[in-house]
Amino acid sequence: MIRLSLLQFRIQAITAAAILAAFAVLLAATGPHLASMYAADGVGSCHGSGCLSPASYFTGSLVRSPYGVLFLLSTGIILLAPAVIGLFWGAPLIARELETGTAALAWNQSVTRTRWLAVKLAIAGLTAMAVTEALSLMQTWWAAPISQAVADGSGAGVAQSRFSQLNFAAHGITPLGYAAFAFALGVSAGALIRRTVPAMAVTLAIFAALQVAMPLWVRPNLASPDRTVIPVTSLGGAGPSQTGPGGDRFTLYALNIPGQPGAWLLSSGPVNAAGQATSTTPAACASVGNTGVSEGAQGNAFGPGQGPAAFVACLAGHGIREAITYQPASRYWRFQATETAIYLVLALALAGYCFRRLSRLS
Amino acid sequence: MSAVIQASGLDKRYRRTWALRECTLAVPEGCVTGLVGPNGAGKTTLLRLAAGMIAPTRGAITVLGQRPAAGPAQLARVGFVAQDTPAYARMSVTDHLRLGAWLNPGWDGDLARRRIAQSGLDPRQRAGSLSGGQRAQLALTLALAKRPELLILDEPVAALDPLARREFLQGLMEAVAEHEVSVVLSSHLVADLERVCDYMIVLVASQVRLAGEVSALLASHRRLSGPRRDPGSLPATQEVITESHTDKQSVLLIRTDEPVLDPAWAVTPVSVEDLVLAYMSRAGNGPPARRQRLGVVS
Repeated sequence: MIRLSLLQFRIQAITAAAILAAFAVLLAATGPHLASMYAADGVGSCHGSGCLSPASYFTGSLVRSPYGVLFLLSTGIILLAPAVIGLFWGAPLIARELETGTAALAWNQSVTRTRWLAVKLAIAGLTAMAVTEALSLMQTWWAAPISQAVADGSGAGVAQSRFSQLNFAAHGITPLGYAAFAFALGVSAGALIRRTVPAMAVTLAIFAALQVAMPLWVRPNLASPDRTVIPVTSLGGAGPSQTGPGGDRFTLYALNIPGQPGAWLLSSGPVNAAGQATSTTPAACASVGNTGVSEGAQGNAFGPGQGPAAFVACLAGHGIREAITYQPASRYWRFQATETAIYLVLALALAGYCFRRLSRLS
Repeated sequence: MSAVIQASGLDKRYRRTWALRECTLAVPEGCVTGLVGPNGAGKTTLLRLAAGMIAPTRGAITVLGQRPAAGPAQLARVGFVAQDTPAYARMSVTDHLRLGAWLNPGWDGDLARRRIAQSGLDPRQRAGSLSGGQRAQLALTLALAKRPELLILDEPVAALDPLARREFLQGLMEAVAEHEVSVVLSSHLVADLERVCDYMIVLVASQVRLAGEVSALLASHRRLSGPRRDPGSLPATQEVITESHTDKQSVLLIRTDEPVLDPAWAVTPVSVEDLVLAYMSRAGNGPPARRQRLGVVS
């Protein structure tokens, strides 16, 4: 059965190998240059807070170089790989046998359906996981300078933290879970619907929906977030914006937490001295900002003693502080493991469904 | 005679339609059994149940004394050639033989290669480019070379031209003669069955209308034609199967184990086709009313 599965899987295996090879060549050809850019910008030889400036320069230059696009492209391939595998390896696995009638051939040899399915699932499923994870590891190696620059405190443009939606899904061990799940989902949809093309459509729809829902609603709750309250004056680059007539309302977001590099910010907002969320500008500060326009503009548009910095200082003087809920950077691998485990359990449940379905099928 | 397939009270329902309803029959060992019946009689469902491709909704079926497809050993004992004789379109003939060799411990490689050579198949050719007749030969080869005790064929020749049909059945008969294998095949082409079957089951709306050895069935049925006459006046030993009358003449098909002595009748033997048509068109022996919902078209 193993030999037959390998024989029948060879086209897919060759395709996957070709894609992996092309991916490897592309990254191997450009990776050293990216690393030399990183070194040339002086990020490699800096220490501590001295790295912020060269790292910023490096991440800024990514946008102008082809590597920004290449980073997004390679990330996209990693994110799409599970879906493609689910569609083209998973959905036809049972559905095509039923559609073409070859199920009657396959299941009437001296091998039970259970064994037939077990071998097929193992070979294609494990290959799916290996291929996706290989893509991810190659790109992780290639993007190491970018990740390092982000760790040095300069996330900008394509260079985002490990917790960002793209990076979290493309790096670490999550691609293993996605690949296993998408594959099992495709097989299950095929077993249920018994036709390849509709099964592919259903697989794509469910997988895409889950990949959107997971980071938005599930992932932030995998561990209860930490909460901190910090002075508004320590928010760094974040600018306030005043709204409403006379600037009597304002918003103020945090982009990072001082002393917590790489933390995943879930929410942030100003609170008053009593610790309650507020958006009302203290009367004394309404004219200090005097922006009238939204977004944190540069200070040079304002007169002396005015502008965002003065406004923030005024807010601080009136007891306004910033409350932030976040997941510390140290929880990265815990999140990776939890999310991967969720997808693997789902994949196993779907595989179990396939075995049950197959025993009653045809 | 022991049975290779024994079904009792067998039901199979697909969502709301009954494909098989209270079917009870026995297929004898050591015979080539023809399963005949109109479309929708449940032939395919019955054979798929026997092969273990599907599970019954209710009732019991045993094949060679076991539950169908109960395990690798049981699967090895039964060969199944499905309707339309499916094969993997992208795989070559050789790959199909490999498949058979890999998946069947009792695989007879010599038999397989010999049959492929005899059928004139190119081993390198992909199954997708084979003609219907060639594909049927390939499917039969796969089923035979696993050396089953029972071979189940579902309408194997329905899609073939007369020549391919004859070659297929010839190959089947040779294999049956060479290896001791019981065969059950369904067909609505009665002439083909006449050529190969020594046992026959007529199935109409899941019910067995007629079952028996072909030679015995032919010997016990007669066609009588003569002046118009009420069938009720026949001797008790003569069971009327079908009757047709004109103003002056009556033609009856009767079942009897004794010679017809009445000189008024012109007595002629019947063919298998006559028998099948007679039993298919004859009203059943009080079929359950609910079976009408099957919508069987004869």
